Amino acid sequence: MSQLYGWMGKILRIDIGSGETTTEDTSKYVPEFIGGKGIATRIAWNELKPGIGPYDPENMLMFMTGPFTGTLVPTSGRGSVCGISPRIYPTPWFTYGTMGGDWAAELKYAGFDAVIIKGNSQKLVYLWINDGRVEILDAKEMAGLDTFVTQHYLKEKHGKRSQVVCIGPAGENRVLWSTIQHKLSNSIGDAGLGAVMGAKKLKAIAIRGTGGVRIAKPDKFIKICREIAELIKGGSTYYPHPIDLPFRRPIGPENQQCSHGCPLGCGKLYKNVPAGITVGSGTRNMMSHCEDLVFIHGEAETKYPTKDIKGIYHGDMYTRETKAFGEMIGTELQALCEGLGLSSAFPINYYPWFWVCIENGVTEIEGVKLEPDNAKFWAEFMRKVACREDSFGDIFAEDMMRAVDLLDLPPIVKKAAKFQFPMWGQPAHRQGRAYESQPSPLWINTMLHWIIDSRDAMASHHQSSFVVGWFPPHNEGKGGTPDSNMEKLKAAYKKAFGTSEGIEPGFENIDGKTRLAIWQDNRAQIKDSLLICDWVFPAILHTFPSREEYLEAEDYYGDIDAEAKMIAPLTGLDIDTEYIDKAGERIRNLDRAIAIRNYDRSRKIDTTGEWIYEYPEKSDGTKLDMELFNTILDSYYGFRGWDKNTGRPTRTKLEELGLTNVADELKRLGKLSMT
Amino acid sequence: MVSKKVSVEVQKSGKIVHNPELCRGCRICEVACSAYHEGICSAQLSRIHVVPDDLALEFPAYICQQCEYPSCYYACPKKDKSMCIYIETGARYINLDECLRCGKCYCACPFTPSLIWVSEENDKKMYYKCDLCRGRENGPICVEVCPRGALTYAKRGKLK
Repeated sequence: MSQLYGWMGKILRIDIGSGETTTEDTSKYVPEFIGGKGIATRIAWNELKPGIGPYDPENMLMFMTGPFTGTLVPTSGRGSVCGISPRIYPTPWFTYGTMGGDWAAELKYAGFDAVIIKGNSQKLVYLWINDGRVEILDAKEMAGLDTFVTQHYLKEKHGKRSQVVCIGPAGENRVLWSTIQHKLSNSIGDAGLGAVMGAKKLKAIAIRGTGGVRIAKPDKFIKICREIAELIKGGSTYYPHPIDLPFRRPIGPENQQCSHGCPLGCGKLYKNVPAGITVGSGTRNMMSHCEDLVFIHGEAETKYPTKDIKGIYHGDMYTRETKAFGEMIGTELQALCEGLGLSSAFPINYYPWFWVCIENGVTEIEGVKLEPDNAKFWAEFMRKVACREDSFGDIFAEDMMRAVDLLDLPPIVKKAAKFQFPMWGQPAHRQGRAYESQPSPLWINTMLHWIIDSRDAMASHHQSSFVVGWFPPHNEGKGGTPDSNMEKLKAAYKKAFGTSEGIEPGFENIDGKTRLAIWQDNRAQIKDSLLICDWVFPAILHTFPSREEYLEAEDYYGDIDAEAKMIAPLTGLDIDTEYIDKAGERIRNLDRAIAIRNYDRSRKIDTTGEWIYEYPEKSDGTKLDMELFNTILDSYYGFRGWDKNTGRPTRTKLEELGLTNVADELKRLGKLSMT
Repeated sequence: MVSKKVSVEVQKSGKIVHNPELCRGCRICEVACSAYHEGICSAQLSRIHVVPDDLALEFPAYICQQCEYPSCYYACPKKDKSMCIYIETGARYINLDECLRCGKCYCACPFTPSLIWVSEENDKKMYYKCDLCRGRENGPICVEVCPRGALTYAKRGKLK
């Protein structure tokens, strides 16, 4: 086999039950499936057959990189982890997560595009991957260690240039919202795969590599990477230009990138913050990003339009200003959370829910008094959960939806939990109802992503919600920009797609909106396969280094061809934007096929969370009725090439994407669309 | 008579200066350097090595200081053919075509770790070091790509 450019060419496969390791050629899967989530999805279709549960030895934990990982492509240091997750509610199913940091680049430098782990070990072990070699080593000395100490320990042992991903006590105890942790605050969180790592008794993976990623056309590649870095230097697309928000500051010493190869600095750095107030002593370092800032900064309450929602505001439609514990205590709580290996996105949903409990007469659960405004309560809560201590810890170690099922609570409290975790047991995130507002038409797109995806879709579809920062002020002035210029914004979309229907407010031109959603979703697959940052790509819009430049700009258009422009000189393959879009569609359809084959995914399952959109969007009051919802979904399925009644892909669509064997297998199982 | 062992004075050089206070360990400099010099994105093949302590949030980097009295140059058995001085910038650089791969420059470097790097390629040792991107129109690529201004190019005569 000739050596590949961009990809390392080898996938490492390990059965940690038997200790057997093998390698497989990456060229079996690329370029058709690109890398990352794309390859993982292909392998899952081939090997994760129906009936495999998250903790079964047959389940695979797939640590994936993409062709861009470890290269000069801006924001490219990301990796993806895929597998069957116990976290998804009510059915544990195949899902994905991505994270930044340096481990993915190091894995490529060690010679591998991916590490795929199956089998369950009898005793606690870790993997040491060193320049093409792998060892399964005893980890009993690391049992119960927090994620920071684990990283320190392995870096002492294998050198400080090694990179470590690991689980904390929470993962070891199979807490459903435990993380796979890396560095200070990079993690695979709500995907729930920390618990799978715990079930495999895999404490950590330490990686060191001295190789590199070969570039087919270095001069051209360097040039285009420089141009794209210039294009995105105004920061993430959340806002047109840097403003004084923790994750949208002008880049400065207080900020840190979360990934290898990222020229931006969305993370807020807390260095040598004195500790000792609630949970520890000494000083602490931390990087905070978005939802993990909640312990520090709190989250402002965002009210619903009371005229529409009168009478039910308190209870099932509950949000509340989240307590800010300040830099010292907040950092400490976050550090405890990351150290135990719990998903630090949790307080934004758990805090208001505990208040719903209290205001509805539930002041204690399983003998533990609820005190959401007390930092010590949270420290205890996290410790108990991570160790599954007492029945309180054991119950909340399940995700919120399963915990609520286990507890005897008033119906309104149970419904409030459902409002916080509306679909797949995943926390409300940018769908235009519980927290961030998404005025029409943006929530239509985010809704479609939520109902089609296997998890909280907004982890890889920020492009559909971040444009909200370019809209006029809304949500009592807490969102949008006073300098919004909708005409220029529409012009950029028109330049990208030939039409701006997709971002025009209201419910006209539904087809334009669903087609934009499909494009966004296909590109989300590509992003998680290449891999690049969700806060930046695809760059429909480009950001500006200052407000002045934004105001003076003739044009907001970024470059939706950026991915193709970079992958072509990197790999030397003739890959253009059309190929990229098709590959994204292929990955989505294959993911859909897995969901249908293994979990009977259907239109009925897709629509289990649609009820939340019958509540009004909080800033403009727009909402769904069922007729409108069905029109939107019919349009989406139609453009997808999926059957409108069942949501199953048609043979025509699968064959068009080169997935004939997938169509054959679905047909054999009686699960192919009849049309 | 001048003893053969007395070092001749060589032309001064500019150098890359790294500021660990501004650096945040993104390592774009490494992948740009190795892409430019080797056509490969690699931390190991980079002439600058950033070795962050991610938990302590410290970001040291290692890069050739282009010494005023370059021990590597004096140690080279084929100086001016293998270890050379680039006239325009004063950069001390290795001409791999002529390199004997003896490692004397590597051992002579007064810094720890040695700021001349070594890598195994096809069972042959390859020595490489910062050459200030000799001949590159816009100067050193690491300085150009650093998003934080943590790397600066101090031209010769402008440093202490």
